Amino acid sequence: MNDALKMQISAFVDGELPENESELLMRRLSQDAALRQQVSQYLDIGRRMRRDRDVSGMDQLRGRIAQALGDGQAQPDDEPKVVGSRLMTPSTGVAVAATVAALALVGLSQIQGPVDPLLQRAVAIDDGPIMYTEPAIDQVLADQPSEMLMQYYLSHGDSSPGLGPNGIRARVISLESRELIEVGPDPHLLPAAAAEPNEEEKSAVNTP
Amino acid sequence: MIRNIQSFRYPATLTMATVLAACAVTAWAQPTPDELLDRMNYVVNVVDYEGTVIRTENGESEALRIVHKIIDGVIHEKLVSQEGSGLEIIRIGNEVHCILPDKQTVLIEDWNNQSTLFSALPSSEIRYGADYDVLIVREDRVAGRQAIMLAIRPHDEFRYGHRIWLDEVTSFPLKTEIVSVDGELIGQVMFADIRIGSNISKDALAPSMSLDNFSWFREPAGYDAVDVDTNWESSDLPSGFRATSSKTEQLPGADAPVTHVVYSDGMATVSVFIAEKNEAQFAEKSNVGASNTYSIQQGDFQITAVGQVPAATVRRIATSMQQN
Repeated sequence: MNDALKMQISAFVDGELPENESELLMRRLSQDAALRQQVSQYLDIGRRMRRDRDVSGMDQLRGRIAQALGDGQAQPDDEPKVVGSRLMTPSTGVAVAATVAALALVGLSQIQGPVDPLLQRAVAIDDGPIMYTEPAIDQVLADQPSEMLMQYYLSHGDSSPGLGPNGIRARVISLESRELIEVGPDPHLLPAAAAEPNEEEKSAVNTP
Repeated sequence: MIRNIQSFRYPATLTMATVLAACAVTAWAQPTPDELLDRMNYVVNVVDYEGTVIRTENGESEALRIVHKIIDGVIHEKLVSQEGSGLEIIRIGNEVHCILPDKQTVLIEDWNNQSTLFSALPSSEIRYGADYDVLIVREDRVAGRQAIMLAIRPHDEFRYGHRIWLDEVTSFPLKTEIVSVDGELIGQVMFADIRIGSNISKDALAPSMSLDNFSWFREPAGYDAVDVDTNWESSDLPSGFRATSSKTEQLPGADAPVTHVVYSDGMATVSVFIAEKNEAQFAEKSNVGASNTYSIQQGDFQITAVGQVPAATVRRIATSMQQN
């Protein structure tokens, strides 16, 4: 994919592509499965960068692409799941998922490397009451660390398992890239009172 | 289920009163910075506390609710993100449960560290005077409590500096910061409110929700690391760094096991990964938050250094790795 196309898709996802160019892009998307996959990943990245919070704008975009394609192929949630881990989505793949994990964790602006100056553009997104500033999607893809580098970060995190960049949050966010085995519930974590909120939480719930 | 809790056993009879009494013995005299740090390392392992923590990294802040209690010498800890999907981390000894409400999933992990929150506190292995200076800077106020601010300043550009605000009464760390050599703030953990020595019920340590329909996962045992003697070593370590472990690991996605050597100066930690060279090449250098990496090829191997240290440190260590 060339830079011009990346920019075009980025603009489309950001809702900044003129109507006539959008139609051309849609036509191209309808004929190019790999490109659809790429757009799907862009949307997924945007979602993850917001720490998996629901974003109405993203949902609208997903719907817009699905509507344009007429077959919903741009929606990763419709993809079949990989057996063995409900957390894994083949549409993203291990490498992309690991990358996205790191990006979502630390903020994309923190990933530095040999970056094309043209890709330094940042896009401000109004996401409800909180303002986020995120780099352009093409910058994300240009700067993503490799899968193995992500594994190194996570392994290093075993020596510092706190909340830092190599710590627990990184591993939680990278769940989709990890091979996991399903186990039974831990009885130590299921006391009878577990579902009961403590006094403080009760009062918090009752506070208007 | 195997539970290794030996390393987390503390005298069960320790109470907050004991801690306060210990502090009071020396309260009449101005403690030295070293004594304050010793107290800090002791107190974070023996007192019960709960509060709200604001964690800031790379300009982003996050609020977390934490409850920490020692039961029969075993650490029980619950940490709840107050934002996003409401991630909960519940720790019982070495076993950590990460509850992801939005995914209806619990991830189980085994850790060997003592605190979710304080994994970056200086250890007793740090070489004060040789690689760092530690000094009392001033009195301050954090989370409504009187605090003593300590600064740990590196002697060179190969490590970050630290600032720690200790509770004046208990020496509990109320606020910690990591700063670059030029004083730029890299990360911060600060209590907005805290109750030290509070009476915490077991219910407060339980999950905040029913986990009846949740799926539970853990990593396959095959990914466990195996301690090994390695002939790889750095010929040009920055002052104070020494090898603390070496092991082989089979990482997900890797064709062959990698050798993982860890260097530490007691405060900063650098991991060096030595892998057989393959087609997938890394960027020469990159950084994720405060962590830097540097990767080079040496013969048939790719050597990558990773650590929460300045870029110069990982570069120096990676480029000086050699086989004896």
